[in-house]
Order: sequence, then structure tokens, then C-alpha cells
Amino acid sequence: MINATKKWIFLKVSSIILIPLMFWFIINLVLIYDKGYVDIVNFFSTQPSKFLTSLLMIVAFFYSSLSISEIFEDYIHDEKIKNVANKAITIFAIIIPLITIIIIFNLTL
Amino acid sequence: MSNENPLSPHIQIYSWNISLLISISRRIIGVINIAALTLICLWIVLLLLGEENYEYIKFFLQSFLGKFLILGLTWSFSFQILSEIRHLFWDFGYGFELITSKITGLIVIFGSIVLTILIYLSSKQIF
Repeated sequence: MINATKKWIFLKVSSIILIPLMFWFIINLVLIYDKGYVDIVNFFSTQPSKFLTSLLMIVAFFYSSLSISEIFEDYIHDEKIKNVANKAITIFAIIIPLITIIIIFNLTL
Repeated sequence: MSNENPLSPHIQIYSWNISLLISISRRIIGVINIAALTLICLWIVLLLLGEENYEYIKFFLQSFLGKFLILGLTWSFSFQILSEIRHLFWDFGYGFELITSKITGLIVIFGSIVLTILIYLSSKQIF
């Protein structure tokens, strides 16, 4: 299987997972965003929010790094700059969700 | 040898239509959504500062600008959800006819507005 096909399959699978997760998250975000500290921490530190938010972060950043690399493919001609941009977005897509998940799993009142 | 191919998509050449509008909007909104998710990650990180310091963030989120940001985020998430569903139908081979493509494009635009209103009102328990 060529790389482009693998990338397409990864994009489609992550998109299918992402749709219900985004729907769940935005409904809950609108419910809690203006609440107090205790309510927010309670939301992120209890199940299933803890698991679903972590999964959303992993899948959303993975999907975005693949999508943004497509944008780089379309708009950046210079191969060196494109490679650096792709590496930067991959590192960003690993570090940000990783830090967030570590914090979510350590949140307590 | 340098590549002299034109940049893609050629938005400055083609005349505007629904599919082109949705296509370029989907890319822009995808980037906006990941920037917003990064801010949400920062919001979660800031919870570590404790209850007293969180009052500043709460004050911002309860302000007009905070509510506007959340409403905007609800719309951008709704838009991406609907346009992803439209793309998945295309991947299974449905909806390529010109008229169907125009109708589903309009559904994405107006559906995202309706979905935003429904999510926001239901969160405020208006219905």
C-alpha cells in the first residue's frame, strides 16, 4: 500500500471517530464553560469525560496534522521548508495532547 | 529544478460557487478549530493554577467576548461536523451530482447555523 493511500485511510478513520466526539464535546463545553472552578474540574476529572476528552485530543490533533500537511503540500513549493513545517506540525500534534492528557489524569479537587 | 506549477486550489482563477466556498472554508475552519482546541488545552492546563486564579478566566468566559468566542466555536465545530459527514458520503460514492452537491453544500452552511442555535439554546435549557 502506498503512503498516500495509508494517509487517506488514516484521515477517513479519524474523521469517523472525530464526528461524534466533536459533537459530544461542543455540547458539554457550552454547558460548562461559564461555570465555576469546581464544576469544570469535576467535569474533566470524572469518567466518561476524562476518557472522551483525552480521545478527542489525540484524534483531533492526529487528524489536524494530516490535514495541515495536505495544506502544506498544496501551498509550499520549497521541499526543505515543507519538510520542516511537516515535522513541526507532527511534534506539535504529539506534545499538546500529551501534556493535556497528563494534566487531565492528574486533576483533583 | 524548481517547480513552477501553480498553487492549489486556484481560488483566484475559478468563479465562486457553493462547492468552492465550502472547500476553502473547510480548510480555514479546520485550522481555526485546531487553534481553538489548543486554547482549550491551555484552559485545561490553567486549571492547575487553582480556584482563586481561575476566577480571572471565569470572568473572561462570562463576558460578552467569552460568550461570543464559545458561540463562534460552536458554529465552527458544527460546520466541520457537517462538512465531514458530506465528505464521508462522497467517499462512499454518494452525492457527486451537481444539484446534490449544491444542496448538501447549502445544508452545511445553513445546517451549521441551525445546529449552533440548537446547541446553544439547549445548553441554556430554553427548550
